Amino acid sequence: MNHIQLKKGHDLRIAGKPECRIQVAANPAELKVSPLNFPKIKPRILVKAGDSVQIGTPLFYDKLLPLILHVSPGGGTVSEIKLGARRRVEEIAITLDSNEKAVQHPVFSEDKLSKLKGQDIRDHLLKTGLWPVIRQRPFSKIANPDVPPKAIFISAMPTAPFAANQATILEDDSGGFQAGLDLLSKLTPGKVHLVIHPQENFPALKNAKNVTVTSFAGPHPAGNVGIHIHHLDPLQAGEVVWYLSAQDVNAIGKLFLTGIFPQYKIIALGGSNVSKQHYLKIRRGSTVAHLLKDNTVSEPARYISGDVLGGTKILPSQCLGYYDEILSVIPEGTIRRVMGWAAAGFDRYSLSPTFLSNLTPRKDFSFDTGRNGSLRAIVPFGSLEAVLPMDIMPTFLIKAILARDFEEMENLGIYECDPEDFALCAFADVSKMEICEIIQDGLDFVEAEG
Amino acid sequence: MRKFLARVKPQFEEGGKYEKYYPLFEMVDTFAFSIGTLTPRAPHVRDAIDLKRAMSVVVIALIPAIMFSFFNVGYQEDPTRSILINFLVGFKQVMPIIIVSYAVGGFWEVLFAITRKHDINEGFLVTGILVPLVMPPTVPLWMVVIATSFGIVIGKEIFGGTGYNIFNPALVARAFLFFAYPAAISGDQVWTTIDGVSKATPLAIAAGTPGGQGVELLHQSGVSFWDMFIGLIPGSIGETSTLAIALGAILLLITRIASWRVMLGILLGMIGMALITNGIAGASDNPMLSLPPHYHLVMGGFAFGLVFMATDPVSCAQTDTGRWIYGLLIGMLSVVIRSLNPAFPEGMMLAILLGNAFAPLIDYFVLRAHIKRRKKRYAQ
Repeated sequence: MNHIQLKKGHDLRIAGKPECRIQVAANPAELKVSPLNFPKIKPRILVKAGDSVQIGTPLFYDKLLPLILHVSPGGGTVSEIKLGARRRVEEIAITLDSNEKAVQHPVFSEDKLSKLKGQDIRDHLLKTGLWPVIRQRPFSKIANPDVPPKAIFISAMPTAPFAANQATILEDDSGGFQAGLDLLSKLTPGKVHLVIHPQENFPALKNAKNVTVTSFAGPHPAGNVGIHIHHLDPLQAGEVVWYLSAQDVNAIGKLFLTGIFPQYKIIALGGSNVSKQHYLKIRRGSTVAHLLKDNTVSEPARYISGDVLGGTKILPSQCLGYYDEILSVIPEGTIRRVMGWAAAGFDRYSLSPTFLSNLTPRKDFSFDTGRNGSLRAIVPFGSLEAVLPMDIMPTFLIKAILARDFEEMENLGIYECDPEDFALCAFADVSKMEICEIIQDGLDFVEAEG
Repeated sequence: MRKFLARVKPQFEEGGKYEKYYPLFEMVDTFAFSIGTLTPRAPHVRDAIDLKRAMSVVVIALIPAIMFSFFNVGYQEDPTRSILINFLVGFKQVMPIIIVSYAVGGFWEVLFAITRKHDINEGFLVTGILVPLVMPPTVPLWMVVIATSFGIVIGKEIFGGTGYNIFNPALVARAFLFFAYPAAISGDQVWTTIDGVSKATPLAIAAGTPGGQGVELLHQSGVSFWDMFIGLIPGSIGETSTLAIALGAILLLITRIASWRVMLGILLGMIGMALITNGIAGASDNPMLSLPPHYHLVMGGFAFGLVFMATDPVSCAQTDTGRWIYGLLIGMLSVVIRSLNPAFPEGMMLAILLGNAFAPLIDYFVLRAHIKRRKKRYAQ
């Protein structure tokens, strides 16, 4: 097994880490699906309010790639289709029946699975509506089924704050994991890379077959799939790789083995504003409010679908993001300190040794959502470079993006970039630039121009 | 105070009576209380560092040099007085220069912030103190006004303000005086405050007599290495004490505000070039050629430039490899200019300005090499 050791990066010492214990969330009365979870699709809705749906009934498809169906994660009645500005569909709510029905797809025995061809697997995933779990880089959008990737990446060692231990997630229920890997290996002419922690002992991960297993070690973002792609099979213009989470590999396997659209996933619930932090087994499409039903939340709180560095701010009434496997709840607001810039700073969290907190024992810190400074022009102190474990020059890439210099962006490796990999850069930046937003801008620009 | 600021805030916001002066409000507001802005998107949490903090550290790092300068300015006038008296005499001489520099620098910064509608940048906190420290203590205040204005406006604001400048504004200010009023700041004479008496700086002594040995010339005039290291010599206000500057350097290095690559690069470049000039010293009657590296370090503005001027993150090279090259270049140039050009015994200022000018070019080549290496990586 290949091993890659990274040095740059940082593991946030953030308070409210979840316990490694899975609790099963009660079945919700309502599930939601939001087309906004999928960047750059144009949804055409197939249902209307009042329609009854089963688990696996198509709800909408993408007008740009009509093969890609999105299906209902629950059985019941469509209670609301919520439209936003310019009649954009924001969410579809489904009130669940007490006795949910599911669309029954063919069941494949292990013997039959091994005989399936790539084309059959692709078609089955598209038809059953599980295709959207597979995303592509560059641009982090749903994989285009017509463009086979040069490789497929699965990260089974997320390092983001509060991320769940993948072995714990799969332990209970990994029946489909190896089957999923076998199926994926037929979707690419290249390799399927499974990246695990070097001390991983869980057999389904450590002894996975039909894939190339690599271990990565180092501080966050060493577990991000973008970092793995960069070190194992870097992307250049015109190339595509696909990626998905270990849980979704399991989901693919189980879909083929059971014939039912997989309804559950396991998430990690963390942050200092909830009373109990642990893993939760949830229905796909559960709202945040439902997930926090047994928990006391101290307000004001910021609800983040995903981790505190790369996640999305959401409301309790919204569902957890389609791809997100973490729910973070942290204090909203900030304290305005008298002459904060001059204080010794024993109570501040900083990667910079300009605060004396670097001299005191390291303990978990309860972050608030303050930006902690005014927006300034780039003053390159080297803090970005110190937390990016990639052979990419962040300061110059940012300048190329701001200057809309297409060729320079390509030269500096824009196709290898994703906002989540630059989240720590944005965290550490002295000038308080919205670096994730800038990187996204650059990606949108090259996608539109290229 | 909080309530007062909150009450007047609407008048400074869009549509308010003093909308134009919002940068002033922002400055006072965020100076008194840390900023209340929340993160609009990911990452939802942010490091506590901001530019105010970073720039304050540079000012703190300058405190030993400032304190020593108060004492030394008095000491150069009359070494026999007590330390306290000398400190007060120097304070009286230097403080007006600092105040004028801050007032003029602040004026331009605020003017540009208001007309160009950007926040007031903390960079001038550092520039405002660097300018006086590279002036001779006898500099007339009107010259400080002109030099600071030139440094801030031409050196920085016309490029767009802190972060966009290609030269170190404080050095631009000093270079302006150097070329516009050579008699007042030529770097070889009139550095003390006694009217009518001028003392030569050690650099001028070492360069002074053709055919001599730099070190011997210094010793003959009663200047030892340790005098220069501690800083009890005539010179620009904040530049004389290598010891005080070294204390600041330690702080800048520990806090990683200054690049250690630049500092080490300059030091190595200077040592290398000084050893070369030492090697060829016999072939020429230029006394500076024989000056050993450790003398170069403690003389003139070398140490000050190394620690506080060349390390300005904006005007120095912005790649790690580039910072090495930039440092080595400055170190070598400083010795070359000092030794080989008798008109400019103070070579550090020009060396850094040249380094600033070359920094974008250095970065350009480092970047091309980076891109080439990336292309090779794909080919594998």
